[in-house]
Amino acid sequence: MTIGSMLGDIVNSFIKKPVTEKYPFVRSETPEDFRGKVVFDAETCTGCGLCVKDCPSKALELFTVDKANKKFVMLYRVDRCTYCAQCEVSCRSKSISLSDDQWELAATSLKPFEVYYGREEDVKYVLDQAAQTAAGASEETEKE
Amino acid sequence: MGSEKKPEKFVVSIGPQHPALKEPGHFEFGVEGEIVTSATARLGFVHRGMEKGTESRTWVQNLYLMERVCGICSHVHAMAYAQGVEKLAHVEVPPRARAIRELIAELERIHSHLLWLGVAAHEGGFDTLFMLSWRDRETVMDLLESITGNRVNYSANVLGGVKIDIDEAKISAIHKGMDFLEERTRHYMKVVTEDETFLGRTRNIGSMSLDLALRLGAVGPTARASGVTYDVRVDSPYAAYADFPIKVVTDTAGDLEARFVVRIKELYESFRVIRELIDHMPASELTTRIPRRMPEGEVVSRVEAPRGELFYYLKSNGSDMPERIKVRTPSLCNWGSVLSTAVGHKLADMPMILAGIDPCFSCNDRMVLVNQDNNLSTWSWEDLRQYGIEYYK
Repeated sequence: MTIGSMLGDIVNSFIKKPVTEKYPFVRSETPEDFRGKVVFDAETCTGCGLCVKDCPSKALELFTVDKANKKFVMLYRVDRCTYCAQCEVSCRSKSISLSDDQWELAATSLKPFEVYYGREEDVKYVLDQAAQTAAGASEETEKE
Repeated sequence: MGSEKKPEKFVVSIGPQHPALKEPGHFEFGVEGEIVTSATARLGFVHRGMEKGTESRTWVQNLYLMERVCGICSHVHAMAYAQGVEKLAHVEVPPRARAIRELIAELERIHSHLLWLGVAAHEGGFDTLFMLSWRDRETVMDLLESITGNRVNYSANVLGGVKIDIDEAKISAIHKGMDFLEERTRHYMKVVTEDETFLGRTRNIGSMSLDLALRLGAVGPTARASGVTYDVRVDSPYAAYADFPIKVVTDTAGDLEARFVVRIKELYESFRVIRELIDHMPASELTTRIPRRMPEGEVVSRVEAPRGELFYYLKSNGSDMPERIKVRTPSLCNWGSVLSTAVGHKLADMPMILAGIDPCFSCNDRMVLVNQDNNLSTWSWEDLRQYGIEYYK
């Protein structure tokens, strides 16, 4: 039976550096296999849609611009993602990977949470299409 | 003078939000002076409708939903679910994947038991032990992050295997981590069994006899501290536990001190089996093919979570979504032991007795609808949601 059996630990702690990390002033290294933001490569995508089907949080949406020429655009909703990497496992063409250095994803508006991946002209095409549909829908509601 | 008045029973009501634990639960302790004479618990403040939620998600998506049943033991939930689905599909998981599943499960047990050690010490007013055990727990959290890619929801499983592999660099990091943690854990064992002030809070407090533990159906380290020699890892080996077995750790005292001793000795077992696993990791593929639509049928899957036996029941109707998933978590089995051992102790001991079973509140909340007029009805997700909104108004 003793009293103060952790006094040694306390004394040791006085002469040691604090274990807390100084984030955000010092950004610690993340391990190689860290699961951060989803990165999509539209060049290799075959458009099978398994990633969209398997995503547990409905964070992915795939737009087919031109199926014959394999032109696809991916809308990735960062705020919905749970970083489980199932999309990476499901992808047969290895077009999806999870970044190990992009993990500071907090934002003060919704805009940065909608990330479009794909060729520039394809993304523009998808955005224009979406704008047209939205305009059409609002006209219809005005008519009603 | 006049008739003698019977002393009125005073009830101390604690919760749902209370300073002892971070999760909500309502307790009513009948007291006579300082001594507790009766105890009741009311649960259900964090019901999330997950079992119902599984019915509108595919088998693959559910893996990640089930992983989020518990934040502390996320891997064992995913593993129990994945093993059940693999049994349904009659698929054999490659040996290396099974060994990696066991490795992550044991690393998770270390993190869970060290977390508990800190929480239980904090409830006993021993904050030095709390802070230092949590500092050391970072070692295993960092290891899990470097192996799987995340500190908490590891997502190591996929249906039919695992996502992650381990290489030489990770193996040497695990060896280093285990050596450090083993040295620290042996020190903590000395602290909890020798420190007089702390023993005053744990020795002969909340004692549960073997007979009572069996009668109340206690599970996990809580039951093993009372001498119940039952551990799913030994009695019904899963993953790679048949090739890399563990020894069941038991104690006969049944009090809070015994629960500390059992959990810390289980840590020694985990260190040993992890070293064995990484030194003799079998070589094979990591995954095997599994269908997207599961054949019709029902299976039961059991694993030993850090808190005790975790039970999954899965039923498939042949589609790509389950028909019914039932989860029974170990915390629910241990409530009886808290309520019966609380009687006769001081009110100040209640937080310690409560923390002694390592309770996880959101794991054990279920909804039961008592149907009095024999009309069979099925609740949809929307009905459940509306009921929840009305209930909490």
